[in-house]
Amino acid sequence: MSDPQIEGLQLKPGFKGMSEDTGSDQTMFKGVHWGKAMMWIFLLSDTFVFSCFLISYMKGRGSTLVDWPYPSEVFALHVGGVSVPLLLIAIMTFVLITSSGTMALAVKYGYEKNRKMCGWLVLATALGGLTFVGMQAFEWTKLIEEGVRPWENPFGAAQFGSFFFMITGFHGTHVSIGVIFLFIYAYKVFAGHYENGGKRGWFTTMKGDYVEIEILGLYWHFVDLVWVFIFAFFYLW
Amino acid sequence: MSDEYDNNKSYQAQSSETMGGSAPASPDMDYVRPAETPDQELYHGHSFITKWVFCQDAKVIGVQYFLTAVFTGIVGLILSWLMRLQLGFPGAAGFMTAEHYYQFVTMHGMIMVVYFLTALFLGGFGNYLIPLMVGARDMVFPYVNMISFWMFFIAVAVLMASFFVPGGPTGAGWTLYPPQTILPGTPGAGMGILLMLVSLSLFVIGFTMGGLNYLITILQARTRGMTLMRMPLTVWGIFTATVLAMLAFPALLVSAIMMTLDKILGTSFFMPTILQAGEVLEYGGGSPILFQHLFWFFGHPEVYIVALPAFGIVSDLISVHSRKNIFGYRMMVWAIVGIGALSFFVWAHHMYVSGMNPWFGFFFATTTLIIAVPTAMKVYNWILTLWRGNIRLNTVMLWCLGFIVTFVNGGITGIFLGNVSVDVPLSDTYFVIAHFHMVMGIAPLMVIMGAVYHWFPLVSGKFLDEKLGKWHFWLTFLGAYSIYFPMHYLGFIGVPRRYFEMYDSPYMTSAVGMNEFISMAAFIVGAAQFILIYNIIRTLKVGKKAGQNPWKANSLEWLTSTVPPEHGNFGERLPVVHRWPYDFSVPGAKDDFITQTTPPSEVVHTEVEKT
Amino acid sequence: MHPGIIFFLVILGSVLFHIFTPWYWTDIASNWGGMDDTITLTFWVGGGVFVAVCLFMTYCVFKFSYKENRKAEYKPEDKKLEKILTWATTLGVIALLAPGLIIWNQYVTVPKNALEVDVMAWQWGWQYRLPGKDGKLGTTQVININDENPFGINLDDPYGKDDVMIQSDAINLENNRPVKILLRSVDVLHNWYVPQFRAKMDAVPGVVTFYWFEPNKTGEYEVLCAEYCGVGHYAMRGSVLVQNEQDYATWLGEQETFSDLIAKQQNLVIGDTKLAKK
Repeated sequence: MSDPQIEGLQLKPGFKGMSEDTGSDQTMFKGVHWGKAMMWIFLLSDTFVFSCFLISYMKGRGSTLVDWPYPSEVFALHVGGVSVPLLLIAIMTFVLITSSGTMALAVKYGYEKNRKMCGWLVLATALGGLTFVGMQAFEWTKLIEEGVRPWENPFGAAQFGSFFFMITGFHGTHVSIGVIFLFIYAYKVFAGHYENGGKRGWFTTMKGDYVEIEILGLYWHFVDLVWVFIFAFFYLW
Repeated sequence: MSDEYDNNKSYQAQSSETMGGSAPASPDMDYVRPAETPDQELYHGHSFITKWVFCQDAKVIGVQYFLTAVFTGIVGLILSWLMRLQLGFPGAAGFMTAEHYYQFVTMHGMIMVVYFLTALFLGGFGNYLIPLMVGARDMVFPYVNMISFWMFFIAVAVLMASFFVPGGPTGAGWTLYPPQTILPGTPGAGMGILLMLVSLSLFVIGFTMGGLNYLITILQARTRGMTLMRMPLTVWGIFTATVLAMLAFPALLVSAIMMTLDKILGTSFFMPTILQAGEVLEYGGGSPILFQHLFWFFGHPEVYIVALPAFGIVSDLISVHSRKNIFGYRMMVWAIVGIGALSFFVWAHHMYVSGMNPWFGFFFATTTLIIAVPTAMKVYNWILTLWRGNIRLNTVMLWCLGFIVTFVNGGITGIFLGNVSVDVPLSDTYFVIAHFHMVMGIAPLMVIMGAVYHWFPLVSGKFLDEKLGKWHFWLTFLGAYSIYFPMHYLGFIGVPRRYFEMYDSPYMTSAVGMNEFISMAAFIVGAAQFILIYNIIRTLKVGKKAGQNPWKANSLEWLTSTVPPEHGNFGERLPVVHRWPYDFSVPGAKDDFITQTTPPSEVVHTEVEKT
Repeated sequence: MHPGIIFFLVILGSVLFHIFTPWYWTDIASNWGGMDDTITLTFWVGGGVFVAVCLFMTYCVFKFSYKENRKAEYKPEDKKLEKILTWATTLGVIALLAPGLIIWNQYVTVPKNALEVDVMAWQWGWQYRLPGKDGKLGTTQVININDENPFGINLDDPYGKDDVMIQSDAINLENNRPVKILLRSVDVLHNWYVPQFRAKMDAVPGVVTFYWFEPNKTGEYEVLCAEYCGVGHYAMRGSVLVQNEQDYATWLGEQETFSDLIAKQQNLVIGDTKLAKK
């Protein structure tokens, strides 16, 4: 949809046609922007990073002799004297998923060359990400105040603290990098870098194009998806 | 004309018809689809710094990678001399303590596997050859490519810095197995190991940037007519190796991060309860075997990251120099891809006696031996390429023949070690050392050397000296073979690896003479490598001019507008490809080679097969 | 000299070296002759392939070296030949894999009557523990280890009291009786390896690993550490003495049990207090 059509090129139907197209000359993914293909492959590699983390976590949790802390108690938030399990996490997850929605809309308006809407939506996504990071910082502070450390944990197995801080920290770094880029891109959209005949892009000699918003969007959705897994593994298991 | 895109100015206006001089027999015959991507705009450096230091030209970056990797390789070589000095003539190097020895072992291993071979094949040959061979002007993201090299450079600098910190570099063995890696019983357990882990992480990050470039250039930036099944096997080898690296390095990165945290924050990912010097340490509950799984999930594909580019390159060299097409090209491609895919399912064959669940042994022995089938097919195809060829017995071909001998030898000993119960008596002995040096040390080195002699005329425009080259080859090949072939038998005796002093049982002392011999051979082989350096310097001064396509090869890197190729590679127009790069000695053809850009209309009278 | 001659000599030399080598495996002293047989089989098959491939290569180098007026054959593919080679290789691989897996199955299936031996490793040394009259080893924990309890036996485990403790790097084994080696490490990875027994396994801190063998030749053998464990790795030795039934029984009778050790230490303590009172 977003990819430019190649004149005179019709994709062949069926599985056989697909394999012929794949092996045909010049490009494997017809009409796919270089940067977009790069992002997909990078994300595949990053998937392996997070998989290794999560598999290590499963192994670590499975083999420790001390009991694992009970997530709905550790992560509970006291609101007006009542302990509500997973309240903060629910809000964090909601904010992050919402920011994925605004990102998707930004991409749509970008391709429609609606500079204003695209810019505001990228900015909204950035703010959503910033809120998420802020809440995560709050959660870390709370746990640290309660005595949870990477090397020890008053609620049970020490590995809980180790894995929690390492994996959410690594994910939080991803979100933070994403937020920085979202702010930069919001500026670039407003400044008109992606309009026709725009200025140079980042880290590339290619001219700016709204496809870059989509590439950043891919990254952002990925970070979101990873969060869903972390959420499931740490808070629901 | 059938080419529609002549009307479209944003695309490069060119077609095969306008390239060939003579009138085509039939215009449709030479039809190649219009360009799918616009021509790449390149940033041309003007100052010394933008041209040679922070350069965005993949060819210069390739040479930078090559030189940096060779520098680390020489460091690794010197370390191996010191190790062999201690093993062959204990006490001859007065300063050598067990701590030093283990530090040298560790650094030698890590340098040679990661910073020398991986960087050389993918960073060096990959950068130089990929854009040229697929007909691109440059890598798709030249700026990222430049950063990639400088990350590698910093990684090497950090690694080398560990020689100078208090406590010295880590002496944990290149596998860095916890818990000993970060405990005081191991040399360099303080700063040394931290710098090693940081350096590895930097290497992974830098490599990811480079790897994305290689992949996208191969997938999305080929020239017109260059289908996947017309790519030279070199490109296939580097491509598959890069895919492996992109998926395997994450495991290394994760294990490096976790170990760093174990070291500096006192987490216990890999650390169980430990009693050292009568005191229970503040660790507990971690799993040392988890690290081994992560490490070998990286480590085994790593073997193929080194081997697959070597497979690819040697196929091309053999084909060009025996003036015959590579036998069974399709089989070769699928073998490379298949070996690459299988390499993710065999990692635990390094861990048969590690204490993991013994039932894994059945699975991993089976998958490991399955890999032997495609690998054997590749060997058959290489020697069948020689069959009824017209073999030029020059230095390049000698290196290829040396590769076949050492690779088959090392491959067969691999079947010993992969076959789980045979591995039990042999693992952790010198048999393992001999096996992996033969198969992933010497064999890829033979290919690297062959590739250097083959492509040097392209990089510099001059031939390396043949006579010096032959001395270099025979000293290296015969020397290396006489190091590692007898070494297997030390393993049969049961001599364990990583012993500072060879153990002194009665049946071992009978091999003292052999140890001295091996050490002498190692000194000679190491010294012989300096012949190449001398040869290069001499050639640059007084070498014979090579001119265009000196080997009469078919692939695109020899068809550049200038030799050596300039920035942008192909002058004004990108070449258009009509065939695979292996049309040698086609019956009926004027020459014994038909370049990839030769349109079918020019070779209608020959028996060339469509590719 | 033609390069082909040198390559030929290299191959010939390799074969001759293998036949006449004075360095080969030590005389086997356990039941794992099957491993040696599989190695021999692999040598025949693999060595055959090595010699065949290299000789074919050498032949090509002689026969088809460059001549100006010769043209190489043009034949991109030969599906039939490739198919034959694939299947032949597959068959060869199966022939090698099958015995390997069968022996591995024996290796991981410990016989019921095997004598359990607890091998405890540390940087850098060994000590051993045998089950007492009850035939069972007591459970252990690293944090229990101290001067009074060198093996870290759980004091509330009744099976541990009569365990025979050998605080030395030398151990005796009974000839023709299967042994299950239970490996334990208190600090880093180690590996209890006797070349003549062929078998080995890593000792991993935090878990107990095992393997088994049946010594079938009396005599004294050297124990080596086969997994890198720090600067003292090369010096981490021990010894095994394989004895016949009688000698072994005599030796076993002379060894101290855990309760002996506790009693001795209590006597010492009592003795000390008596002295103090005086």
